[in-house]
Amino acid sequence: MAKQTHNPKVAVTLSLVPGLGQLYNRHYLKGATFLLLTISFILFFYQFLNIGYWGLLTLGEIPRLDDSRVLLAQGIISLIITGFAITFHVLNLLDAYKEAVKFQQGVRPDSLRKRFRAGWNKSFPYILIGPGLFLLIFVVIFPLLYMVSIAFTDYNLYNSPPKNLLNWVGFENFISLVTVPIWRSTFFSVFLWTVIWTLVATTLQIALALILAIFVNDPRIKFKKFIRTVLILPWAVPAFVTILIFAALFNNDFGAINNDILGPLFNQAIPWMTDPFWSKIALIGIQVWVGFPFVFAIFTGILQSISKDWYEAADMDGASSWQKFKSITFPQVMFATAPILIMQYAGNFNNFNIIYLFNQGGPAVRGQNAGGTDILISWVYNLTFETQNYNMAAAISIIIGLIIAGFAFYQFRRTRSFKEEGEM
Amino acid sequence: MLSKSYVSAGFLILVFSILLSACGPQREVSQNEEEQSEPEKPEELTLWAWEDTKTAFQEVGDKYTEETGIKVNVVAAENADISLDAPAGRGPDLFYETHDRIGDAYLQGLAAEIEITDEQLKGYQQSAIEAFTVEGKLLGIPSSVETIGLFYNKELVPEAPQTIEEINEIAEELTNTDEDEFGFLNITSDFYPTFPFLTAAGGYVFEKSEQGGYDTSDIGLSSDEVVEGAEMIQSWHENGYIPESLTYDVMNGLFREGKVGAIISGPWGIPDFEEGLGDKLAIAPLPTYKGKQLESFLGVKGLAVSEYSENKYWSTDFALFMTNTANSELLFENTKRLPAREDVSIESELYQGIQDQLQYADPTPNIPEMAQVWEPMGDALVFIGEGEDPQEVLKEAEATIKEQNSLLGGDN
Repeated sequence: MAKQTHNPKVAVTLSLVPGLGQLYNRHYLKGATFLLLTISFILFFYQFLNIGYWGLLTLGEIPRLDDSRVLLAQGIISLIITGFAITFHVLNLLDAYKEAVKFQQGVRPDSLRKRFRAGWNKSFPYILIGPGLFLLIFVVIFPLLYMVSIAFTDYNLYNSPPKNLLNWVGFENFISLVTVPIWRSTFFSVFLWTVIWTLVATTLQIALALILAIFVNDPRIKFKKFIRTVLILPWAVPAFVTILIFAALFNNDFGAINNDILGPLFNQAIPWMTDPFWSKIALIGIQVWVGFPFVFAIFTGILQSISKDWYEAADMDGASSWQKFKSITFPQVMFATAPILIMQYAGNFNNFNIIYLFNQGGPAVRGQNAGGTDILISWVYNLTFETQNYNMAAAISIIIGLIIAGFAFYQFRRTRSFKEEGEM
Repeated sequence: MLSKSYVSAGFLILVFSILLSACGPQREVSQNEEEQSEPEKPEELTLWAWEDTKTAFQEVGDKYTEETGIKVNVVAAENADISLDAPAGRGPDLFYETHDRIGDAYLQGLAAEIEITDEQLKGYQQSAIEAFTVEGKLLGIPSSVETIGLFYNKELVPEAPQTIEEINEIAEELTNTDEDEFGFLNITSDFYPTFPFLTAAGGYVFEKSEQGGYDTSDIGLSSDEVVEGAEMIQSWHENGYIPESLTYDVMNGLFREGKVGAIISGPWGIPDFEEGLGDKLAIAPLPTYKGKQLESFLGVKGLAVSEYSENKYWSTDFALFMTNTANSELLFENTKRLPAREDVSIESELYQGIQDQLQYADPTPNIPEMAQVWEPMGDALVFIGEGEDPQEVLKEAEATIKEQNSLLGGDN
């Protein structure tokens, strides 16, 4: 019969119009469904995609009538829809090709019922993932793309839609960030503090957690459960409550730290809130307090799982406590927790709560447009909500995103290497 | 396997077909709106107000319905939403706004220029009209005005102090920090109530330009006159009249309890103080400095017509109706906000002091650049209170304001 004449290439070519290839493969119901879906897709989305792509390219032509923000959103949604369409189209082409090959080899299609069942079984996981994925695309990916787009426009206070149209400006915002003097000085000083903050605050909280965990784990310590519970307590109080209370304690004039501790004991007051240096010290202290219990809990768990035999063996060899710590405890703890610790660094890099709640990134610093303790993320907040510098805020957000992505990438690498070694 | 060229050809065709079809919306641009003297009446108008004024506004709206047959819907809403809602067709016809936000609304093109005759503008306070004018365009009808005054406790201070010297005398006489008793208090770390004292000898935020706007490159907050004012404020702290870390809560609380002779506050504080002090509360205009009345900031609230309203004529008409003489009086009854009209007299001894001061009040600049002034000036005032050199601190604050404002527009 059509055994020799049935050509997969023809099927694929026909399938450029979804459905035709399937009809050629004698999958009539499938072909008809594909064709119908294609036609309804075009009818339904043609106008939307048309305006969407036009909007994405031009961001509108007539001020007031065209709202660049809405057009940009529609353009991005159009891109997403096109992405879906291309995915389905490729699946359709592959389907046409595979079925045609089968047909060519003389395999005749199964009964409709059988094929339907096979299809259902094959796609079942995707059907389950589908709704979540769909939601994720519109709730996470879409805003992300929108933010990335804003970074390449000129959206600021003086160029606000709907009165004005936005324009694509390429990398201009990123260039001004490193070339315009006040942007540059602010960006680098904020960036530097963000890095110092991340390294110092996180390392200290990990170090404190490690020391406490080792002490509490020492066999000579009594009431272990009680001490552990107390040490975990800062974790039980919501962080924002802790921060607000500390902000009150550190208040220059009314705070207990100046009035009841430093005043009576040393007869002096430290300007915690108004001097950038002391504000930074206070912030790091608070973060260590808020952050150490989590790490402490993890370390405690790991310390308990380290085999006692190793320490006994070390004792037999006459190892000192320091040697035992250096060669057994520390490597064991770090090896197991490195990925989690790295995410602690990433978390502090973006720790908006503590910076904002303590004193809104203040105190003010001469010659820069961010406060003395502002980290990148709280600076972005100010740029967005105080000065409506949406374009610059978006540009900085992208930079933050890339750095965090770096952390995450490293973490996944670490996690995998850990797993592989575990499987050995 | 499937040859790759087929797949890529498929992609190309798809992409091209999309690009080819992407020719944008087909539309005819017709900008010639027909000018009618009195357009047809709409069925209803929507006014976005704030929660606390909703009821009072609805009452006036109902009166308007009786008169014209146009229904008025007063909705408590967030004005920040107008930017997205109005272009999408879900916005109001009118919105209630403070004058210092109107520059922002103008930049976004949300408030329509109000076209009315000089005849219709009669009766409104000139300064209130000015407050709603941006680049020579009137963007709102003022409904109420407010400014600060000298609130005093008649038991401690029988006669309203007329001059700053008298205020200093009261402070010297009554202040006893151990007993939490004070002669005169003001939140000197807040630029708003401290501005009159800072500029007692002269000074300004932004110089007014000839076109009626402001010249943001000309800031007048570090001149010798302002330094003179700053030194005066500094002396209050040095002499121990005003504690450095004074907050509104503390000040208002102490004044309510009758422990403070006089404070600087605004009409919003009246109900609370009246409750605490009763008949002892009195309000006077700000004092004079070297024979010159202190000038305070004027705050104006009013009604703006949305650029996206289809009924601008009737929206304006309603805004005028709501702020006419009779309704201004009604609104004062219900909201206790002083009408922005010259031809309404409020018979209230307490509010008289504020009203007297209104003649010496100048609107806070209504341009968005003003938003960058409050924080640096507040910081500067804190430093001044802590005893740092006023000249230096004020120069720094000025530089910060200029820098911040230069950043608003990116690099232009």
